[in-house]
Amino acid sequence: MLKSVTSSGVAAPQATTGATSPQAKMVTISINGKEVEVKEGSTIIEAYYQSGLDIAHYCWHPGLSIAGVCRLCMVEIEGNPRLQIACNTTVVAGMKVNNSSAKVKDAVKWGLDFHLINHPLDCPICDQAGECGLQDQYMKYGQYDSEMGEQKVKKHKVVDLGPRVVLDSERCILCSRCVRFTDEVSKTHELGIFNRGDRAEIGTFEGKPLANNYSLNTVDICPVGALTSRDFRFRQRVWFLKNAETVCTGCSTGCNVKVYFNKEGLFRMKPVYNPNVNGHWMCDVGRDTYKFVNKEARLLEAKVVSSGKSQEMPAMELAKKLGATLRGHGTSAALVLTGSYSVEEYEAIVSYFKTDVGTKNIYHWINNPETFDSFDGLLFRGDKNPNTRGLLEVLKAQGISGSWKELVDGIGTGAIKTVVVAGPENQANFPDMKVKIAELSKVAKLVWLTSGKNAELDALTGDVALLPVKSYVEKAGSFVNHAGLRQQVDRVMTVVPGAVSLTELVDLMKEVGDAMTVKSTAATETVPAISANQIGQGRINNEFTLSRGVW
Amino acid sequence: MFKLSDEGLKYVKNELTRYEVKQSAIIRCLYRAQDENGGWVSPDVISHLSAVMEIPSAQIEEVATFYTMFNKTPVGKNHIQVCVTLTCGMLGGRELCDSMMKEAGCKKTGDVSPDGLFTFSKVECLGSCDTAPMIQINRDPYTENLNTEKGLELVRKLRTAGGAGASGKGH
Amino acid sequence: MAEIKYLSEHYAKPEYQTLDGYKKFGGYEMLAKALKMEPQKIIDEVKASGLRGRGGAGFATGVKWGFLPNNGEPRYLLCNADESEPGTFKDRVMMERAPHQLIEGMLISAFAIKSNKAYIYIRGEYMGPAAILEKAIAEAKAAGLIGKNILGAGFDCELDLYLGAGAYICGEETGMISSLEGLKGQPKLKPPFPAVQGYLRKPTIVNNVETLAAVVPIIRDGAAGYRKYGTEKSAGTKLFSISGNVNKPGTYEVPLGYPLMDLINIECGGLKPGRKLKAVVPGGSSAPVLTAEECKTATLDYECLAQLGSMLGSGAIIVIDDSNCMVDVLSTISHFYHHESCGQCTPCREGTGWMERIIHGIVHGHGSEGEVDLLLKIADNMKGRTICALSDAAALPVLSFVTKFRDEFEYFIREKKSKVRGGQIYAQISH
Repeated sequence: MLKSVTSSGVAAPQATTGATSPQAKMVTISINGKEVEVKEGSTIIEAYYQSGLDIAHYCWHPGLSIAGVCRLCMVEIEGNPRLQIACNTTVVAGMKVNNSSAKVKDAVKWGLDFHLINHPLDCPICDQAGECGLQDQYMKYGQYDSEMGEQKVKKHKVVDLGPRVVLDSERCILCSRCVRFTDEVSKTHELGIFNRGDRAEIGTFEGKPLANNYSLNTVDICPVGALTSRDFRFRQRVWFLKNAETVCTGCSTGCNVKVYFNKEGLFRMKPVYNPNVNGHWMCDVGRDTYKFVNKEARLLEAKVVSSGKSQEMPAMELAKKLGATLRGHGTSAALVLTGSYSVEEYEAIVSYFKTDVGTKNIYHWINNPETFDSFDGLLFRGDKNPNTRGLLEVLKAQGISGSWKELVDGIGTGAIKTVVVAGPENQANFPDMKVKIAELSKVAKLVWLTSGKNAELDALTGDVALLPVKSYVEKAGSFVNHAGLRQQVDRVMTVVPGAVSLTELVDLMKEVGDAMTVKSTAATETVPAISANQIGQGRINNEFTLSRGVW
Repeated sequence: MFKLSDEGLKYVKNELTRYEVKQSAIIRCLYRAQDENGGWVSPDVISHLSAVMEIPSAQIEEVATFYTMFNKTPVGKNHIQVCVTLTCGMLGGRELCDSMMKEAGCKKTGDVSPDGLFTFSKVECLGSCDTAPMIQINRDPYTENLNTEKGLELVRKLRTAGGAGASGKGH
Repeated sequence: MAEIKYLSEHYAKPEYQTLDGYKKFGGYEMLAKALKMEPQKIIDEVKASGLRGRGGAGFATGVKWGFLPNNGEPRYLLCNADESEPGTFKDRVMMERAPHQLIEGMLISAFAIKSNKAYIYIRGEYMGPAAILEKAIAEAKAAGLIGKNILGAGFDCELDLYLGAGAYICGEETGMISSLEGLKGQPKLKPPFPAVQGYLRKPTIVNNVETLAAVVPIIRDGAAGYRKYGTEKSAGTKLFSISGNVNKPGTYEVPLGYPLMDLINIECGGLKPGRKLKAVVPGGSSAPVLTAEECKTATLDYECLAQLGSMLGSGAIIVIDDSNCMVDVLSTISHFYHHESCGQCTPCREGTGWMERIIHGIVHGHGSEGEVDLLLKIADNMKGRTICALSDAAALPVLSFVTKFRDEFEYFIREKKSKVRGGQIYAQISH
């Protein structure tokens, strides 16, 4: 489906064959009295979504099989005396459907009450509050006093289903989404619904916890507060968090994600639907890629160690000094690049080294060559860099082909005197971090560009400079995933005010040699050429994403 | 840890190929394992069957907890299931159960009597309403047309039979 | 009119259980006859006979068979022997007394619908009948009646028994299919219907024990012969399970259209001396209850009972005399449906428990005003809202008991004791 990368550079993906594709045959039906065109073969609930109309539901999820058990997506179909569920009924041309009649509204109100009678209604202490299907649908379709005056059924609370997911069975409405997820998507089968009737509870069997790499998707798709993330629970009320879309940098798949943040930093990540990349899902490893972005893990100021003395300084100042050093340095300078940076940054820095420094000594640091090409069959790839493919394309276009051995030899013979390393952003994904630091610190002068703190780097005593760079949420740019899909992301927020992107660094370094041009620097954010809604080009236009969220 | 006997293993292997899909063997294999485990399906029964049958344990647990004939707690030698639905309910099934329980020394349904001989359950319609009230002991053919007197006598008889148990068959 | 032993002609003879005994009375001759017929001719004959499903829904058997798609996929015939509608036991009697009649009926039906694989799904509690059936299947296999090239007619059919393990919902045909597939017995979404995608997503026909057994005399007597009994829309005879407050409870075969009161008074020997009829549940616990007044005109056929707002169902008749408290009787029914709801669909999962808790509260003397109407509202909103009919089955008795015996419910709430039995109610006596 995706066009392969051509020699001239990175290709944009082809148009999607998804729901909005022009080939799909359309039929006209009437929803709530309005004529709408929907894809032939759609279910009625899909027709509602395609038409941007609201319909109540819990168990239906576009990424899972149809369960038809919550009985909330009731619609009235002209000519059928019995209400039907929209999720299991296929549209027929000319069909007249509504969910606005008093009959449907009453059925949905009762449907909600049935859901709520055994629910603890503990919203004030529930982590889901603010993004809860039960709350939302109650406000939209319910708003009545419950008739329930009997004792509620008691079930298990605070059950660890696995390392990342916590269950509160009393809040569970048994929609079976999580069970279907582990049966159909992760295919790991850890979850089941045990017992029957209103004694039924979801759970794992002892000794077989929910420990697959996709477990947190069950939290995303849980429409209530039954499944919560151990990592996120109790940390923030969701209404105090802003969110923005970006691309996950955990591996070369490039899942489209939403990061949730406030001025203190990032708190969590959730997948954003893109049929061409990640569908509805993302992996648990990817969910942790917000952690190294936050201040606690970051290098906040530049640091220069020289003649045994260490000195902190603003990144801008160090950048300018570097510019002076590197300009015309020639082939005794070298650049090491990791797959963490954007295409634009690679283009800027590679071109700077070729033209301004005057060297083609540019090397690609591959973090885990043994498992680089592995793939779990779903989303998770062995290449744990967001932009290896973008880097390779830029290097190819610029005629760069140096081998790591050349670099090591050059350092050994003293031919290479200065090495600039654009180090990894997600250091945990670089098992050879220590080895590489030891190897590279043998050079006369080492400049390490890094977003994160690192104890080994801090302990270096030679002629070393550390310069803080921006993490992926702090800059705009594009990343090319394993399949050649170029995804443009926007800046989300600033975590370390003094950090610079590689593009900004190049601008600062150039300024020294070109004093006539006064450029705005790190103080100004890079303005993206393409807006953020172009992440994951070819994404279906929010077909399954109503304003309230994925479900 | 529970392990099937060699005979039991052979039985399970055979059942796995008896039906169109191997999952269909779960119910019969659970019966077999329950019988070999003294009348109940303990967690290690599930783990063992999961390993032997190569079916996820959560799936076997779902089946074991959905159907009422698998006991999830230990039961006495005679698991006495008293029908209490509709006709049996009208004709004294509930009272019969309570009297027999008292005689057997069980405080409530699900308890094992101190002598280990009895557990009582109130169960739903067993399909013998013309002989109400009636009971099923373990998985034996039904004991029908009861009243309090006959019920008490039955408990006494089963107690006298003692360790031998009333039923040669499984639970 | 009186009891007619049409299906059950030889049930009293112990030898009828065995292959030799069965053959003595013409056993498997109809299979031989059927195997010489065109399968479509058998379907037509069954259609013409007017035979309707005896499990409860009363759907026309031949019509159901006609739903099978001609797509070359393997087809399955499943016999529903999960008999678990409270009050029903006629299939058990049939399987115990005439296992070969069922097997013969199944083989003829399998031949008619071109199925080479048939299963009997029997409820786990029926260990007695299961053992009898297993023996009969083994006998039939040994005699070449099951397996390859049956009776040399070139028809292959395997037949096996599948054991349930205690779940009323497995009597619902798609719940049964789920169970047969080794899963929890939870009903499946329809469409697709089993005839199109059933067991293992292959075309599947599910018929009740009595329905399949009735195919044998239809082949013998033809549609016209079968129609000698019954009414235009309710053809043939039917086995009724009668229990409760009658002198001679049991299984009786009468032609459809037979007067309910005759069955109670003549075949079943009437009520205990001094007792008066109060109500009858005519078609298993889910059938709306009839008052004594309504019983007077009731005949045992699909039309009449539907007209009275109830149903023939599985033919399970529970006779309730004036010594019973209707609140207490309903409490056992509601307990049953709460216990048996599979838990998939929210209205049923939550509604059955909610109704039971209210009724439980009432019989324990904790009822409060307004609960009678609340029960009606809950039941009303459980009807027609779920994947299968269990929710309706739970709602109908509540609606009918509460509507027709409202004074007993109101009295109980007000006085904290039974109008009929005072404090002598199970819930209020400590044992």
